[in-house]
Amino acid sequence: MEMKFKKKLSESILDKFSIDFLRNQVLKNAYGNDDTVIAKLDPRVLLVWYLFVGLAPWFVNNLWFLMACFLLVLVTTRLARVAGLVLLLFGVGVFSQTGYLFVVSLLFGGDASTVVPLLILTLKVATCSLASITVFSGLDPDRLSNGLMWYGCPERLSFSISYAYRILPMLMEEFQSILLSFRMRGNPPAHETVRGKVRYLFYQVKVIMHAFYPLMLNTAKRSRTTVEALEIKGYRYAAVNKAVKKIKLSTLKITYNDLLFLAISFFWISLAVLASTLF
Amino acid sequence: MELAKKQTATQSQKLMVFVLTMSLYGLATLFTELIPKFQAGIVEFSVEYFLFIPLTLAMLFDPLSAALGAATGELVFSEIMLGQFGGLGELEKFLTVTIGVYIAGRMVKDPRNRKMVGLAAITGTGLQLLMGTVVDILKVQFAVEDFEAVAGLPESVFATEGFAFLNDLCFSGILFCLLPTLFLVPKLYGKIEPLLGMRPRDEKTWMGGISWKVVLGAAAAFAVAAGAELLASSGTALVEWEASWAESGTAMAVAMVAAAAVVIVVLAVLKARSGKEQAVRK
Repeated sequence: MEMKFKKKLSESILDKFSIDFLRNQVLKNAYGNDDTVIAKLDPRVLLVWYLFVGLAPWFVNNLWFLMACFLLVLVTTRLARVAGLVLLLFGVGVFSQTGYLFVVSLLFGGDASTVVPLLILTLKVATCSLASITVFSGLDPDRLSNGLMWYGCPERLSFSISYAYRILPMLMEEFQSILLSFRMRGNPPAHETVRGKVRYLFYQVKVIMHAFYPLMLNTAKRSRTTVEALEIKGYRYAAVNKAVKKIKLSTLKITYNDLLFLAISFFWISLAVLASTLF
Repeated sequence: MELAKKQTATQSQKLMVFVLTMSLYGLATLFTELIPKFQAGIVEFSVEYFLFIPLTLAMLFDPLSAALGAATGELVFSEIMLGQFGGLGELEKFLTVTIGVYIAGRMVKDPRNRKMVGLAAITGTGLQLLMGTVVDILKVQFAVEDFEAVAGLPESVFATEGFAFLNDLCFSGILFCLLPTLFLVPKLYGKIEPLLGMRPRDEKTWMGGISWKVVLGAAAAFAVAAGAELLASSGTALVEWEASWAESGTAMAVAMVAAAAVVIVVLAVLKARSGKEQAVRK
């Protein structure tokens, strides 16, 4: 009975995790939410905010402060309307970082006293990841890369971000079609028995490895085209030219909303500080 | 001619290698981030490791561009795009991947020599995993207060991390790094280079073996990586600001709250006014 249930569960999970589903979620995450409060904020302001919320919790062990930071990023994540898959990954990630450790430490003779330090660690990890989810999936990629560039990040990085978002759907589609053609021509081993299952697993891995062979060749061609197109437009000179950078960044503007956002966050954090000194 | 000895790659060819590695490895790490892991008992069968892609490319092309491309790809595709960016801590992964791939790429003199390719692949993988493990252990030791005092925690950290290292090296390392690299490098050799307008690597065009300079550079980079990771997660306050406001006490905190409240009110008023002005102008 249990086996059957497990099988059903794993099947329904595997159904969900088709490549199409992944592609949709990633695209939705990147482009689907540019009308939220968070997406309209100035990227520079958000990055400063992130620098604080992402770093400060590591240096503080006060529970009030940590809880306040956590609630703050919880609200902003909600405001950014992040795709469900990303949140699921976040949950799994936090558990695998600290929950797993807790279970093992119980095996080695730990008890309830192990919980408190681990709880603090979990809060820290969760706060930092939620802050980064807010900033990096809340913003659309071009604004994000502009913001990073304003702070003097290497041009390579902001180019990579913009490029990644554009090339990803294409690459995924290509990988999928290569995999499908392998599957059409392939002859997978029977996988009813345990031995068959192991062989099937190895077969799948082998197919994925083989699929990378044509993918590598195709991507090599494509990256040559990309770079040549960039060179025609004088990319390598423009990347280090100050005048070009100025034109690129002229769209960034700090509004009252940005300042309000910072002020409200500051208010909330200082409330937490107040609470921690009172109690 | 010094130039003719080195693997001759122009700046734009290096950029091509960078873009190529970045997009391929980025795609692969995105999958690994999204695909659930299979746990059979305590052994984890994760499709964790697609390091064979940058390893293969580093052995065929300019190792540094490939290594940097791989690390950037991972950062951009799987961390930033999925919002899993861990701040300063990501520097650790970035640098360890770069070191592992770069060293593996420098080790290979002739990509047709299978023994060397295999050795380099497993060395690069092992190096990257080992550095990650060391940093992880240090991280937990610093991040949790009174590490020794918590019952059962030190042993469990060593056990889980050590086990994870062996597991990764034996399972993912061989299955996903060694075998595919051994398969792909000879197969791609001579075929993929012309697509980027390059000459295949051979004894004349390779960059020279691993010198002391490379080793020292790698060690320095690892120190930076470990430092960044510890800085990002150290509980021993680097900026002693908990103490600073704990001493000055409640008055300081009240002042902060009041200041923040005033700023919010002022900003709200200003915003309302500017909104009205715009409405009037229209």
